[in-house]
Amino acid sequence: MSEFHLTAEPPLAGYDKAFAGASLKAPADLALVSIALPLGGEDAAHKAIKAAYGCALPEVGKACATPRKTAHLLRLGVDQAFVVFEHAEPDAERVVAEALKGAAYTTDQTDVWVALDISGPKARDALERICPIDLHDDAFAIMDLARTTMEHLGVIILRTDEERWRLLSASSSARSFLHALETSVKNVS
Amino acid sequence: MSRIEGGLIDRSQTFRFTFNGKPMQGHAGDTLASALIANGQKLVGRSFKYHRPRGIFTAGSEEPNALVELRGGAHQEPNTRATVTELFDGLSAKSQNHRGPLEYDLMAMTDFAAPFLSAGFYYKTFMWPKAFWEKVYEPAIRASAGLGRLSMQEDPDIYDKGFLHCDLLVIGAGPAGLQAALTAGRAGARVILADEDFLPGGRLNAETLEVDGMAGHAWAAQAVAELSAMGNVRMMTRTTVYGAYDHGVYGALERCTDHLASSDGKPRQILWRLYSKRAVLAAGATERPIAFGNNDRPGVMMAGAVRSYVNRFGAAPGKRIAVFTNNDDGWRTAKDLHDNGLEVAAVIDSRDRSPLLDIPGARYIRGAGVRDTAGRKGISRITLTDDQMVDIDCMAVSGGWNPNVHLTCHQRGRPRWRDDLCAFVPGGTLPAGMVVAGAANGALTLAAALAEGAAQAEAQLKDLGITPAAATLPRAEDEPGEAAAFWHVKESAKRAWVDLQNDVTVKDIKLANQEGFRSVELLKRYTTMGMATDQGKTSNIAGLAILAEQAGKTIPEVGTTIFRPPYTPVPIGALGGRARGRDFRPYRLTPSHEWAKANGATFVEVGNWLRAQWYARPGEKGWRDSVDREVEMTRGSVGICDVTTLGKIDVQGRDAAAFLNKVYANGFAKLAVGKVRYGLMLREDGIAYDDGTTARLSENHYVMTTTTANAVLVFRRLEFARQCLWPNMDVHLISTTDGWAQFAVAGPNARNLLRKVVDEGFDLSNEAFPFMACGEVRVCGGTPARLFRISFSGELAYEIAVPARYGNSMMGVLMEAGKEYDAVPYGTEALGVMRIEKGHAAGNELNGQTTAHNLGMGRMVSQTKECIGNVLSQRPEMIRDDAIKLMGFKPVDPAKKLIAGSHFIASGNKATMANDEGWMTSVAYSPSLGHSIGLGFIKSGDTRKGEIVRAVSPVHGVEMDVEICSAHFIDPEGERLRV
Repeated sequence: MSEFHLTAEPPLAGYDKAFAGASLKAPADLALVSIALPLGGEDAAHKAIKAAYGCALPEVGKACATPRKTAHLLRLGVDQAFVVFEHAEPDAERVVAEALKGAAYTTDQTDVWVALDISGPKARDALERICPIDLHDDAFAIMDLARTTMEHLGVIILRTDEERWRLLSASSSARSFLHALETSVKNVS
Repeated sequence: MSRIEGGLIDRSQTFRFTFNGKPMQGHAGDTLASALIANGQKLVGRSFKYHRPRGIFTAGSEEPNALVELRGGAHQEPNTRATVTELFDGLSAKSQNHRGPLEYDLMAMTDFAAPFLSAGFYYKTFMWPKAFWEKVYEPAIRASAGLGRLSMQEDPDIYDKGFLHCDLLVIGAGPAGLQAALTAGRAGARVILADEDFLPGGRLNAETLEVDGMAGHAWAAQAVAELSAMGNVRMMTRTTVYGAYDHGVYGALERCTDHLASSDGKPRQILWRLYSKRAVLAAGATERPIAFGNNDRPGVMMAGAVRSYVNRFGAAPGKRIAVFTNNDDGWRTAKDLHDNGLEVAAVIDSRDRSPLLDIPGARYIRGAGVRDTAGRKGISRITLTDDQMVDIDCMAVSGGWNPNVHLTCHQRGRPRWRDDLCAFVPGGTLPAGMVVAGAANGALTLAAALAEGAAQAEAQLKDLGITPAAATLPRAEDEPGEAAAFWHVKESAKRAWVDLQNDVTVKDIKLANQEGFRSVELLKRYTTMGMATDQGKTSNIAGLAILAEQAGKTIPEVGTTIFRPPYTPVPIGALGGRARGRDFRPYRLTPSHEWAKANGATFVEVGNWLRAQWYARPGEKGWRDSVDREVEMTRGSVGICDVTTLGKIDVQGRDAAAFLNKVYANGFAKLAVGKVRYGLMLREDGIAYDDGTTARLSENHYVMTTTTANAVLVFRRLEFARQCLWPNMDVHLISTTDGWAQFAVAGPNARNLLRKVVDEGFDLSNEAFPFMACGEVRVCGGTPARLFRISFSGELAYEIAVPARYGNSMMGVLMEAGKEYDAVPYGTEALGVMRIEKGHAAGNELNGQTTAHNLGMGRMVSQTKECIGNVLSQRPEMIRDDAIKLMGFKPVDPAKKLIAGSHFIASGNKATMANDEGWMTSVAYSPSLGHSIGLGFIKSGDTRKGEIVRAVSPVHGVEMDVEICSAHFIDPEGERLRV
C-alpha cells in the first residue's frame, strides 16, 4: 500500500439547492465516456453498442435511456456519442471500452465536464436568460440534445423530463457555470 | 390643477411624487408628463444650447424636450423622457441643464448670444490655439452644454439578458399590431407581441374612435385579454424592440421595474434577443411639428399629444387652446378639446379650405400660419401671418404624421416618399422576414390599419405554412387624413425651431446649406440635427424639407439620414447585463487552485485561467524574491508546478499517426509507442502556429498537448483538417484539457520524489523510463495516472497527470512526498524564468510573425512529406540567410536590466527604423547566472555570436550594450534532462 492517498474533489460536488420555483443539483458520481465510431467500422460499432446497452444509438441531437435505465446514450455527432452513467471509480473509460469490445474508440470525459440538473416550474424561464436554444415543447422535446453556449461557456443541454434539463459544461469553469445558473434562477424566482 | 374628467387613469390610486422637490400628486396610469400637466407644471427643463425654457412637447418616446433626472443617490438617472416614465408613488424627478433654479437659469444669458451661436459655431470659433482644445475649450463647452448629470456612483441595479423565439414577432400593440397578433394567435402560431407602452393599444388609448361599436381603448383591452389568455402568445409590455438584426433577430429592451419604487433585488431591465421566423412591424406613426417663430415655448405641443393628454390621461395642457394644422387630423384635436369642455380659441389651417368640423366658439383662420409667439415661461399669445393676435395658454400643432420606418432601415433599406401622405414609408429591401402594417406602412387611418394588420399577419402565416383561422375584421371607420406639404412659416422673422433637443433652427439649416453642407448626412453632423436621445423623430422631415427647399430639390432627392439601432436609448447597464465584476467573463480554475490559495499563491490571469504566479513566503520582500527562490530550489532539488492549462487533445484512430504527420511540420509517422515527441505546427503560409508534445500511448492512441493560449484554436484547426481536408482518414479528436490535472515535477530529485508516489511495479529508472518516455501508471495505491518524461525547465523532469478530481489532493501529496527533498511549488513566473534560461520559445516568440527558420528550427520542417505549411515555408523570402534568428542576449554590464520590446541596433548606427535589426522578445533575471538574460530575434543572429549590439527602448528612454549569445543559457548540451 502506498503511504499516500488521493481524495476526489469534483467541482460542485454535493451542490443541491432549491429556489422558489426551480432547483439546481450537481448529480453525484456521474461518469461520461465518449465513443467515436471508426470510419468504415460504423456498422460494427453500432452493433456493439446495441449489444452492450440493449438499444441503438439515437439520432444526432437526441439522447436515450438504455432499457435497463443504467445509462444515457447522447448522440453528439455522426461519429460521436457520450455514454453517461453512474460510476464513482476513475475507470469509467475501461468499463465502456470493455463493453464495446474494441468496436469503437473511447475516451474518458468524466472529469472534463461538470453537470448541473435544473428542474421545476421556473426552470425554463431561468434557462431563457442564458440559453440561446429554443426550449419550447415543440422545439425541444424530452431526450432532445444540443450543444450551445451560455454566458460564453460551451454547454451541452439535454432535456430529461417535462420540467428538467441536464446541463454539461467544462469542469474548469464550474464556478462561472454555477454562477450563471444561480443568477438566472434567482432572477426569475 | 388641470385634471379633467375621463381618461384611462385609475383615480382610486393616488401617487405622491416630487418635481424639483415640490410635492405633487398623480394617479396610477399616469406618466410623469401627464402628472406634471395635471399639476399645471408647464416649464420642465432648459434647452441644450441656449437654455431656453421648455415644456412637454409630445406624449411618447419621441419627446425632445421633457428630459428629467429620476430618482436620487446612486439610482439617479439622467436624460429620462418624462413622457414615457410611468408614475409611481414616491417618484422624485428633477429638471436638467440649468444653473440656479429652473425658473431663473443663469445660463439663459446664452440665449442673448444666439446671433453668434449659429451652426458650426464651435468649429469656427475654437480653432486656435491648438493647445486650448482639450485644456480650455472642451471643459468650458462641456460645463455649459449637456443635459443631465450622472450620479458618478456604481449602478446599484442589476440587469439581465435573455433569448426568446417565436414564429411571428409583432412590434407595436396599436390597432394594426393587435389585429396582427390576434390573427396569428388564433391560428395557433407562436407569437410575441411587444409594445413600448405600459398600456397596450397605441393610439386607440388616445383617440375617441370606435372599433366594433365600442370605444377603441375598450376594444384594445378586450384584444389584450384574449391574447393574454392564449398559451402561444407572449405579451410584452414596457418592451421596446430597438433594433432589427440579421436572420430575423431583433433586440428588445424590457423595463421590468422602472415603474416601481424599488427593484427588490430583481433585474431592473432585460435585454432580449428575439429570434423570429417572421415579423410584422406595426410601430405606428409620429406626428411632426411645423416650424414658426418662437415655436419652442412651453405650452406649444404636438396636437396628437394634446389629444392624448386629454383623452387618455384626463389632463388638460391648457384652458384656452389654439390649433395650428396643415392636415385633417389636427381638427380632431380641436374637436376632442371642445368635447372635453376646454376652450378652443382658434383653429388655424395652413390650407385655404372650408372648416372640416364645427368647433363652436373657435375662430377659424384659413390659409394662414402662426408667425410668432409670446410668453416668458409659457405661451400666452400668438401672432398670425395676417398679424391677428390670439391670447392662449396652449398651442396644439400638427404638421402631419410620419410612419415609424426606423426598423425597416436597420439593414440599409431606404424609405420611399409618398406624395399623398407627404411622408416617407418603408421602401427598398426590408430586413428578411419583415413586413409592415398600419400607420408604420402609411395606412394612417383606423380601418385601414386594422385591415392591414390582419392581412400582413395572414401573409406571414401562409409563408410559414400555418393556416389562418377564418375571421371577420372588426368594424371601424377611416377618419379623414388629407395633408399638405407645409413645413415652416416663411413669414416668421424670429428663430423657428426645427430640432428642439439640439436647438437647431430653420436659419441653421439654411446656413449649413450655404456653407456647403448639402448632403443630409453632413447637415446632420454640422448642425447636430437629429442627434441625441430622440434621434430627430419629430424634427427630421421638417429639416429635410427646408434643406430641399434651399437646394431647389425635392425631399426624396435630398433623402434621409440612415436610421440605425437603437430606436430609443438603451442604458449601458442593460447592454452590460449581468457581466460585471468577477463575473464579467467566465474564469477557469486549475485543479490545485484551492491548495495554491491556501499556500500563499498570487494568481495571474492567463486567458480565462487563473494560475499561480508565485508563492510568497514570509520575509520575502517582493515577487522577485519568491521567483528567484522557486527557480533555485527547483534547480537545486525539485519543484512542482500545475501545468493543467496546457491543451490536451485525445487523438485516436487507425490513421492517427498519418494525421499527426500531416499537421506537424516535423516527422511523426514513426513515433514509437511509449514515446513523446516535440512537435511544431505551421500555418498554411509557413509561419509557426503552435508547439507542444505528443505522446503515443498505444498503437492508435495519442495525446497531444498544445500551448495554453492556443488550446481551442489548435483543436478547431485539427477538426477542420479531419473533417474537411482529409475526411477519408480514420481519426477522432476530443479535448481532455479539463479532464486531467497535470503537474510538472522538475529538478535533480524529481525521480526520487515520484518513486514515492508512483505505485510499485513501475520502473522509473533512467534505463526503463528515459527522457521522452511516456506511459500509463498508477499512483497512491491504484489511481490511474499518465507519466511523461518531458522537461520545459531543462532539468530532469516529468509531467504526471491524474484525473482532475484528484488534482488538488495530488498537489498536496506531491508536496508531502517531496518534504524530504525540500520540494517547492513554483508558479508561472519561475516557469518563465527557467524556460528563458533554457532557451525555449513560448508565446512571445511564436507570435504569428515568426517561422521555424527564425526560431532556429528550420531543419525540423520536413520536406520529404506532405504537411501543413512546409511548402510555403520555403518561399525565398522566408529562408533568407539574413533573416532574424532567435538568440540569447546578455547585458555587457551585468548590473543592467534588459527590457523586453527593446530593438536591436548595430553598434555605431543611429537608432532609426531603417537600422532596426530585430527585437527582444522575453527577458528575465536569471538566478542561476546572477544577471539579466533575454531572448530575441536579430538579423543573421546565428552568425553573430559574441557581437555587441545596442538594445534600444525609446518608450523607456533606455538603451544599453548587449552581447549576442546562444539562447541556451544553461545546460546547452541537455545533460541534465537525461540523467
